[in-house]
Amino acid sequence: MVPALEVRGIVKRYGGLLANDGIDLAVAAGEVHAVMGENGAGKTTLMSILYGLQPPDAGEMFRDGRWVRFRSSADAIAAGLGMVHQAFRLFGSLTVWENVVYGREPRRGGFIDRRAAREAVAALAVRYGLAVAPDAVVDRLSVGVRQRVEILKTLYRRARVLILDEPTAVLTPPEREALFAVLRALVADGSSVLFVTHKLDEVMAISDRVTVLRDGRVAAHMATRETSPREIVRAMIGRSLPPPPPRTGEPPGEVRLEVRDLFVRAPGRPPPVAGVSFAVRAGEIVGIAGVAGNGQTELVEALAGLRRPDGGRVAVNGRDVTAADAAGHRAAGLAYVPEDRAAVGTARAASAAENLALGFHRAPPIARGRLLDRAAMRAWARQLIARFDIRIAGERSPAGTLSGGNLQKLVVARELAHAAPVLIAEQPTRGVDVGAIATIHAQLAAERAARRAVLVVSAELSEILALSDRVLAMFEGRIIAECDGAAADEEGIGALMAGRRAEAA
Amino acid sequence: MSGLVSPFLVHTAMQSVTPILLAALAGALCGQAGVFNIALEGQMLVGAFAGVAASFLAHSALAGVAVGATAGLLFALILAYGATVLRGDAIVIGIGMNLLASGLTSYLLRPLFGVTGTFDDPRIVGLPVLTIRALSGMPYLAALFSGLTAITWIAWGLVAAATVALFRTPIGLRLRGVGEAPEAAAALGVDVRRYRVATVLFGGVLTGLAGVQLALGTITVFSDDMTAGRGWIAVVAVLLGRSHPLHAALACLLFGFADAVGLQLQGRGLPSQLTDIAPYVVTLAALVLSRRRRMA
Amino acid sequence: MTWPGVPPAVPAILLALLLGAALVAATGGDPLDAYGQIVVGALAWENLTNTLNWAVPLVGMTLVAAIPLRGGMVNLGGDGQLVAGGLVAALVPLWLPAPGWVLILLATALAMLAGGLVAALAGLGEVRFGVPLLISSLLLNYPVAGLASWLVGFPLRDRSSGLPQTVMIPAAAQLPPLGDVLNMGAFAMLAVVLCVVFFDRATVAGYELRMRGLNARFAAYGGVRLGRQALAAMAASGAVAGIVGALLVLGSQYRFTDGALLSPAYTWSGLMAALLAEGEPVGSIAAGMFFAALQTGGFAMERETSVPRELSMVLQALVILLLAARHGLARRRA
Repeated sequence: MVPALEVRGIVKRYGGLLANDGIDLAVAAGEVHAVMGENGAGKTTLMSILYGLQPPDAGEMFRDGRWVRFRSSADAIAAGLGMVHQAFRLFGSLTVWENVVYGREPRRGGFIDRRAAREAVAALAVRYGLAVAPDAVVDRLSVGVRQRVEILKTLYRRARVLILDEPTAVLTPPEREALFAVLRALVADGSSVLFVTHKLDEVMAISDRVTVLRDGRVAAHMATRETSPREIVRAMIGRSLPPPPPRTGEPPGEVRLEVRDLFVRAPGRPPPVAGVSFAVRAGEIVGIAGVAGNGQTELVEALAGLRRPDGGRVAVNGRDVTAADAAGHRAAGLAYVPEDRAAVGTARAASAAENLALGFHRAPPIARGRLLDRAAMRAWARQLIARFDIRIAGERSPAGTLSGGNLQKLVVARELAHAAPVLIAEQPTRGVDVGAIATIHAQLAAERAARRAVLVVSAELSEILALSDRVLAMFEGRIIAECDGAAADEEGIGALMAGRRAEAA
Repeated sequence: MSGLVSPFLVHTAMQSVTPILLAALAGALCGQAGVFNIALEGQMLVGAFAGVAASFLAHSALAGVAVGATAGLLFALILAYGATVLRGDAIVIGIGMNLLASGLTSYLLRPLFGVTGTFDDPRIVGLPVLTIRALSGMPYLAALFSGLTAITWIAWGLVAAATVALFRTPIGLRLRGVGEAPEAAAALGVDVRRYRVATVLFGGVLTGLAGVQLALGTITVFSDDMTAGRGWIAVVAVLLGRSHPLHAALACLLFGFADAVGLQLQGRGLPSQLTDIAPYVVTLAALVLSRRRRMA
Repeated sequence: MTWPGVPPAVPAILLALLLGAALVAATGGDPLDAYGQIVVGALAWENLTNTLNWAVPLVGMTLVAAIPLRGGMVNLGGDGQLVAGGLVAALVPLWLPAPGWVLILLATALAMLAGGLVAALAGLGEVRFGVPLLISSLLLNYPVAGLASWLVGFPLRDRSSGLPQTVMIPAAAQLPPLGDVLNMGAFAMLAVVLCVVFFDRATVAGYELRMRGLNARFAAYGGVRLGRQALAAMAASGAVAGIVGALLVLGSQYRFTDGALLSPAYTWSGLMAALLAEGEPVGSIAAGMFFAALQTGGFAMERETSVPRELSMVLQALVILLLAARHGLARRRA
């Protein structure tokens, strides 16, 4: 049987980095094929080559046995490929149907045939079980529904090979089951699905075959039925998973971060934070588990002082900071590792020293009254670079020269260096290589040992479970459950994250 | 207040608003495509200069229009390529273009026409006005609509056409997508660069026409920096209208009305320095008042 | 166009000079002669003081643009702020009896206040009302200039002269001269320059402003109060414009004449110089001095050849455009 999509010997190099080193992959028609690998293994590069977003340096591609070359995604689309990216590419202010038919609009005279467009969208939705309202404005839709729009886009363009990049990262468990049902309908119809993920349980649940990438090469290739999670993990990282950092025995001390009845509102939709209350004590790590989009971002913004809450109370180290801005929160004793290190956590054109100084730059040693002590700033930076093992040419080098993992280490270093009583870490290891993940986790555990109050917010459930003493599940703006970290298990928390609701699609 | 809003006044306002209208349309379309165009002032000036020069040299208003529009197109190449292909900062490019236009047009007065400051020659042919004979029996409507230049009619027609095209045609949908989320548009096979360049160049034609209307419309003169801030009013109109062609046009009308009222007040003895600033104050007030709508 | 070790402005300047030469040649002039006259006109020993004299207000207006630009903010309201300061400086000596040097200091201080208020008003437009600073600052130019024009044309006019200008300020308020052309204002501007550079390099607020210019979200995250900072930067910017107005009125013009402060176009040249250096103070000042030389040289060029002095403006604009394109290219490669 000729594979629906096949690549041989794909090579791609970025400067000194060999992202894909001779990759072979074949996807049959009617098959769900999982592509697995850790961050930096080369999955994203390979997918972008498959979809025509960039050309390979070497290697060949075959579609239904015919040799093809994609010069752009338009070529890939014409060949029947469709891609749903991890970060959606939708037009927020446009409607569902406008998003779906964009670029391939049905016409009547010189105008768009709106009726035909709506009908086409509705027909596809019904056929594959993707419930959407064609006239809804995409901005107002939940993440799960937006993903359906993305899938509809590919189906509208007659995609027969669907590439999904980390599709379940943003879905609740019921939404994930709904997605799997759609995928099964698609492959039953003869389409193929390429499913890029690092989630083991999903690979076991939905895929027919698995290709594991490691360091840019194919480390293993097997039928899902014939393998096991442990085998796959070993192929991914070359060894078994490291054990999580040990917990200290001492009980937590006094409350350092107190949140009571916090409300954050947004116009046109239900409040992202709808009455959240919890406390974090000295010497404990509290983890907030929740699928992205349930209010965590707004909650953290309010806790860090980047957003004024619309109701409730936040106290840091005993001081009421509800009405205070970021400076006020920091002054009260809060440090914050933001989710987006590039857009919020650093300024890439500024030097490492300047990046390492911000947040605590109004106090000694960096400031003397109103004056800046640049020598002290540089010395401080050198100290931190050494202590946290940040790979950089020097403290004067711009932060933009750092790799993702090292940039994150810089941010963590800066925030930890001041030993603030309260630390909030948001998605602390997103996009970071395995080695840096271990370092950062160890540092967070060290914070706990040093009797600080740590709040970790992460969409990676395994990370939450590995680190936290207590786990809070967040769903639709509320904390719906709390449990002890050691006792919690993935399935239980996952169900809680879904809000204890029945299979609502 | 009764004598304040005469048909003559409205007529003058409509005529004087035309350059701003065309510039605002250009700015709105660029905005829809995701290009922040603050070079409208300079673009208009280039069109005005080219229009006057061509009309003078060829003794024809039509030549003025054609050359003015073409000059606008060519000048817009700077923004079209600078902000898209070369990825320069649109604000810096816009400011640079404004200053280049000002310097270049003033510079060229001496070598080309042997004058400085102002070029006023009886041989410059102005734009003909269209008398609508059908309205001759209705003095009020005639005073309003008869005697406007063709460009004025074209301007309003373009506003309507642009609005329809933007929201009802495939090109319009794609343009809006390009402006809102260029990566999404590119992923769906739409050539973002081409749409942006084409839109900016089309905007160049529009602002070129605006300049021609300004310099060959009611008067036939070119003088240093004659656009006198109209391009910036157009930028504000685009902002107030959130890049929607029709809404921006309405904002232009607001300005035109304030301008006309200012003229009336001037006629009644108020000093020109104060009445001249009325439109700017009105637009500032409109910006402040529209804050909630714009920030939503 | 990336030459290692050479600041990015240099290729842009060279290319602009080339294009300018083409323009001159195309319009019947001799480019080498024209450029030669510019150099002589600006830098020949006998002309140097003229150039410096022109540089004083131009560098001032460069700083007016550079201070907010360092923080990523664009102040296009220099004209209005300049006029506000100049008018106040022309009126204070007429209305307040005081000994000479007190008068000078008071006039300058109130001029700073006037300019700062106008600029802060524009800042308020952005911070409170969401009107982009670019627009609010520019739009304020017109009412301020118009109001000043009216004031000086009617109620505050010097009846005896018949021109729209104020009465001349008393001799006590005039800045003492420094040689033939310059006056003590040059030292005042030097002091301002040193203050701005010091602020940028050695103060916490300067660091915060710089970080905001590089990434405003990062600055806010790090505790910088963006609203307050915007108002302060604009107020400082307007205050410098006020000083420039005061120096021009007290040092050379001795009265406020309608349009006299604006016709040399210091504001726009200053803006271009600041854009050239992206708001970095020392670079901006260097660019400002370079543009001052270009302009005084341009006047001389127009006298000696038939090439209009607007060539200077054209060259400046070309440099800015080429630099913007170049920065874009560099960003593309990154």
